Amino acid sequence: MITMERKENLLRAMQKLEAYRLIQNQMGRAVAAFNFRQAEKLLSFFALDQEGVALEYCDEGLFDGREAVETIIREVVGAEPKPGEMLDMQLTTPMIEIADDLKTAKCLWWMPGAGAIPQSEGDPMAIWAWGELAVDFIQVDGQWKIWHLHYFRFTKCDYHKGWVDDTSMVNRLQVPVHPLSKPSTYHNPYTPWSIRDGLPCAPRPYETYTDKDRFWELDRNKNW
Amino acid sequence: MLDICLEDFDLLSDEEFEALERETARLTSAWQVQNMRGCAAVFWDDQRIGEKRHELNAIKHPSVNVEALYAGRMKAVVDSLEGNSLIHPLTTPVIVVDETNTKCRSVWWSIGVEGLSKFREKPLAIISLGMVPGCNIVEDGEWKMLWGAWQRTTKNEYHHSWVEDMQRTNTRPPLTKEQDRAFLGKYAYMKDEVRKPSPEPPHEDTWEQFPDETDNSFLYINL
Repeated sequence: MITMERKENLLRAMQKLEAYRLIQNQMGRAVAAFNFRQAEKLLSFFALDQEGVALEYCDEGLFDGREAVETIIREVVGAEPKPGEMLDMQLTTPMIEIADDLKTAKCLWWMPGAGAIPQSEGDPMAIWAWGELAVDFIQVDGQWKIWHLHYFRFTKCDYHKGWVDDTSMVNRLQVPVHPLSKPSTYHNPYTPWSIRDGLPCAPRPYETYTDKDRFWELDRNKNW
Repeated sequence: MLDICLEDFDLLSDEEFEALERETARLTSAWQVQNMRGCAAVFWDDQRIGEKRHELNAIKHPSVNVEALYAGRMKAVVDSLEGNSLIHPLTTPVIVVDETNTKCRSVWWSIGVEGLSKFREKPLAIISLGMVPGCNIVEDGEWKMLWGAWQRTTKNEYHHSWVEDMQRTNTRPPLTKEQDRAFLGKYAYMKDEVRKPSPEPPHEDTWEQFPDETDNSFLYINL
């Protein structure tokens, strides 16, 4: 005799496995849209109507709320592409935990990347752009959407010089911060003089997402 | 989306339900092992010694020398963590969970970037290719690493290629070339040798062929 509890557990496990696949596909599509500079398509993967939707990248700050997310993606990703320009970020090392209530998921990927930045004269500059991506997904109308996205820069450097000899691009230029950005919660790229923190953390299994889970990727006490 | 509900299970015999339950659990385990190995990679990059962190090793298994494991964790191999980093993304996963859902063999490949400063000198930028073979078992309800280590293919200073340069594993005292070759560099690239095809990723019948979880000979069947 199979108990109802076993049936419920099996159904939940199957739903989690399905969510695991769907979330990886959604994130893969979102990264493709980012690499191809498709701002509106990238925005379609965000839970824009969800309270607290947010995007944070490197030391450019936290873009909190629909207006801020839409604005920064349209300005940065939606900027007119230039000849010779490329950014090719890739998702690897997936660490994904789906809440027992199946409403949210905490995800972390490591992202090796390469790119090319057009120069005022001569060939574009070939670069490395490596980082980590911590993302909270949330189910909205049966679809998994990006709720909180946090990109951590590991390095951004001239390909020919490497990450030790070229640190000129790891921190933002001294220009006014974006008017819609809030202070960054964390920024510690690799440099010859910095110390790594093992951040972002890998997510741990959880039952349901609460306010205390926000920025889990920085919480070594909980996630180590 | 998955279009099933609890009532659908009533269409299955008990045997069919149990088979579905078993396969679902094995698929979930492969996912959990992938998470665990990713977490281990995060810990590689944070090289602080002595800090409390989630235990990823199977410390209760009789084959594990816990004393040696803990002693190894406490050994410093650089003077300062300044400028040191180990980022080794995991790719190309091959993961096989056994029928009892208690043992799992896996092999990942990896391309990594590193910064190495042994004595507070300017760090060396390193590119390193390799594999992460290993075995996991369930301990206290959680997948833990029974064994598994980095197997180096290349490790070269960034401005030289993997053909021109091979950095040794950084230990104290330093390894001789021969010691390094016998350690993590046993199957590393050599420009004057034919490459040895190891590790072999686990086959689907790996647990029928090699039932002992401490047996790592499945990695070397091509040699």
